[in-house]
Amino acid sequence: MNKISVNNLIGLFALILFIGTMTAFMSPQTQKKGAKWVIPQKYVKMKNPYVGNKRDMKMGRMLYSKYCKSCHGSKGLGDGPKAAKLKTLPGDFSTAKFQAYTDGELYYMTAVGRDEMKGYSKKIPDEENIWALVSYMRTMKK
Amino acid sequence: MKKLILNFLLIVFISGTAFAQGTTKEKKSDKPVSFPWDSELLIDNQTTLSPPAKTLECIIQHRFGLVNQNGISDLFGLYAPGANIRIGINYTVIKGLTFGYGITKKNMYNDFQAKWVFLHQTRSNRMPITMAVFGDFAIDGRSNSTFGTTYKFIDRFSYFSQLIISRKFADWLSLEITGSYTHYNMVTAERNHDNIGVGINGQIKFSPQSSILFQYDIPLKIQGISEQSSFTDANSSKPNFGFGYQVETSGHSFQIYFTTADGILPQDIYMNNHNDWTKGDFMIGFTITRLWNF
Repeated sequence: MNKISVNNLIGLFALILFIGTMTAFMSPQTQKKGAKWVIPQKYVKMKNPYVGNKRDMKMGRMLYSKYCKSCHGSKGLGDGPKAAKLKTLPGDFSTAKFQAYTDGELYYMTAVGRDEMKGYSKKIPDEENIWALVSYMRTMKK
Repeated sequence: MKKLILNFLLIVFISGTAFAQGTTKEKKSDKPVSFPWDSELLIDNQTTLSPPAKTLECIIQHRFGLVNQNGISDLFGLYAPGANIRIGINYTVIKGLTFGYGITKKNMYNDFQAKWVFLHQTRSNRMPITMAVFGDFAIDGRSNSTFGTTYKFIDRFSYFSQLIISRKFADWLSLEITGSYTHYNMVTAERNHDNIGVGINGQIKFSPQSSILFQYDIPLKIQGISEQSSFTDANSSKPNFGFGYQVETSGHSFQIYFTTADGILPQDIYMNNHNDWTKGDFMIGFTITRLWNF
């Protein structure tokens, strides 16, 4: 068996580093903005029945940290550690545009979802806990 | 001593109930408490958490060697040859009912598990506790000669059944007490076929995703069910104490801990643990779980 020289090893390492670096720079550029959400009317009109509930605010923070933070970031800016690997930008929850969505629309996006933003109704089966997340997202307004 | 422990547990649970009644006046509802535990496993023990229906879970439980046997020379057990591992899968068929299967390196066990969470603690505190039953049937997979000259296939079987009573006292604190019965179809002459055990386990959350875990499993020495004239170190199992750190994400749970027993299956822990945590017999271990929803 041929011995691998030190030069070959260094060359291979440099190649891997180069490809890795290029990929890291390329990934964010290929991300696209999400298409407009198509949300059934019955959801659009839904109001959050648990606004101001202290238990839900604590639960919302806990659930956000567990299920959402890795993509959406700790402040909802869309800068979580997994965000760069997504094909679609995760959006910025602090913007006026995002906060203009109705409670029901945010509920639909969270519970039903689409594509990479998978619905969480299976992992979070209690709808009050989905509303808790909606309440928590409201606190991210700038 | 046993009376003292029982009295202590009773006081803890009753006082906790009173405390919780005072804090849940904000909104009365009879929904089950959310997320009583972060994971279905707590080091070596089961919790009363059951994943949502149609959830598949993959579990890897690993145990290195004793930290105090060779010290730094085998990097506190990390290089030790006696490591144990269990790889398993669980599937939650309907809400509260989970079935599982796994293989364990020690004794080449194949095990079949079932857990049923049949009572849920409610937010209104009308039901102050969660209760579950857990059963584990294992087949020792070693060669026939291990079981002596009069080998029969059923000699390989061992059984474990457990009642688990838990309570989420606050968002940061969950405790559970357990009572268990273990039976091995075949044991060596100086040992008992049966054991009754109790345990107390807990989770202390200090951030939305992180918590401290502890467990203490005590195999009781009850002369009434013993086949031996007295209990000795050779014929009885020692308590299993463990503590660790858990981090939880959407689909994963990761636990890293120190624990006493080298067996990962509960019947092995209650029946065959000769490590003594009071003498520093601990092992580093970790558990990784992954959940998929269908």
